[in-house]
Parts: sequence; C-alpha cells; structure tokens
Amino acid sequence: MLHSIYAISMSRNPEEPVYNRIEAARNALGLSRQELADKVGVHYQTVGYLEREEYSPSLVLALRIAKALNQEVSELFSQTPFKKGK
Amino acid sequence: MFKKNKIYWFEGVTEKGVKDLLNNENSKYRWLRPQRNRRVLVILMALGLVLTSMGSYWPTLKTNLNLSADVGIIVYSVTAIFIIFAVVGCYSLLRIAVRSIADAPDELLDERQIAVRNTSFRYAYFILSYVLMALMVLMFFGPELQMFQPEGNDGSYVVIAALFASATLPSMVMAWRERDI
Repeated sequence: MLHSIYAISMSRNPEEPVYNRIEAARNALGLSRQELADKVGVHYQTVGYLEREEYSPSLVLALRIAKALNQEVSELFSQTPFKKGK
Repeated sequence: MFKKNKIYWFEGVTEKGVKDLLNNENSKYRWLRPQRNRRVLVILMALGLVLTSMGSYWPTLKTNLNLSADVGIIVYSVTAIFIIFAVVGCYSLLRIAVRSIADAPDELLDERQIAVRNTSFRYAYFILSYVLMALMVLMFFGPELQMFQPEGNDGSYVVIAALFASATLPSMVMAWRERDI
C-alpha cells in the first residue's frame, strides 16, 4: 500500500529512450569510466548512468562524449536499439 | 601555489568540501553510500523531527501520562539526547551521504547531478508544504501552543523542527530516491 503511494507520488517521468554505444566505444579506446568522465567533465557515475541508458545526455554533453571517443554523435546515439556486434 | 578554497555562503558549502565528497577515491564515508543505509538515516532524521516538534507538547504529555517529576526528567533527557543525535548528527551525515549534491551550486556539479538536485528540491517543496499543513492541523486541534513562554506548551520546538525540515528535506529526498550517489 505504502509502496504503491510512494511509486505513484515519486515516480520518475519515463523518458523516451536514447540508446548508445558509449561503453563499447570507451572499451575500444581502453579508457576507464573515470578517464572518460575527466575528459568530458562529468562525474564518473554519470558515465555509468549514460552507459546503462538510465540518463539521456544534453546535446552539448553528447557532442563532448562523441569528440572524446573519436566518433560522430549519430554513431554513438540512436533512438532505436543498436544491433549487437555493430 | 596555494589555491583558495571558495566558500559558497548562500549554499553553506565550500568548493573543497564538495569536491572531496564527489571524489570517488574518498573512501572515508563509503559506508553511507548504500541506499539502505541512507534510508535508515532518513527515517532517523524524520523521527528526530517528529520528536522535536512533540517537544512543544511535553507539558501536556507529561500530565496525560501521569509521569512523576523524576521519571519525567529522565524521559525528557533521554529523548533530548536522541533528538540531538538524530537531528544534528543525521543532518550532517545526510549531507555527506548525498555528497552535498543537494546543497552544491551548479558550477560544482554536472548536468545529471543538477537534474537530480533540482528534482529533489521539487519533491522537498511538496513534502514541506504537506508537513506545514499537518503542523497547522496539529496546532489547530491539539493543545494550545504559546511562543517562548516559560510555562505551558512552547511552540518554538515546532518552529525549530519546521526550519530543520526545510533545510534537510532535499537531502532526505535525494538519499531516499537515488539508487547510486
């Protein structure tokens, strides 16, 4: 009962999902989360949230991440799920 | 070269203090990070605030419970010690548990942390309005309160509890809601 009230009253607004390949691109460059976080100027946990697709970055942050990972924004982010292995 | 530690007077934090808490390598307060531990702190803080506000009704409570003077002093003292620990201690620990994100200025946070902080303030504002409404109902239907009077029910405890609640609610909301801090 209490949990239901809590879930209703403090629920997170479900966002339209934004899929990304940050983790794969980061691993390909051999960067740790902390190193990527330092490069783009965010907390290391924010990189974790981004990689788990629990947080969608602003356009500015998406551009910074793409630059840090030597990729285009469109290669890193998508509104449809990426195919595995691509 | 010694770098000056900027003080944010309005927020009540320092640049070094916030950066130290945000630093992943700072393991001193790691035990506070699990959500379960943070929620225990939130419950203790809420209990402390309720007991603080009940202090206003202590004379009436003592009479209704038929407590003798000696027992009354013991109950009052033990409760007061718990309240001091719960309110002051938990307030400090809660700020540490959420890495001072609830109090930090924009320039020390990234965009996700700013979003989390702002959402916490939004919920804290709603909760505070309900708390104040509950206090109004309590003051309306409960025993009569007077302000700063040596005799009778002193309403200043309710005011102090409300002030502490307004200061700590954003941290409480954040500590309760966020999975990872």
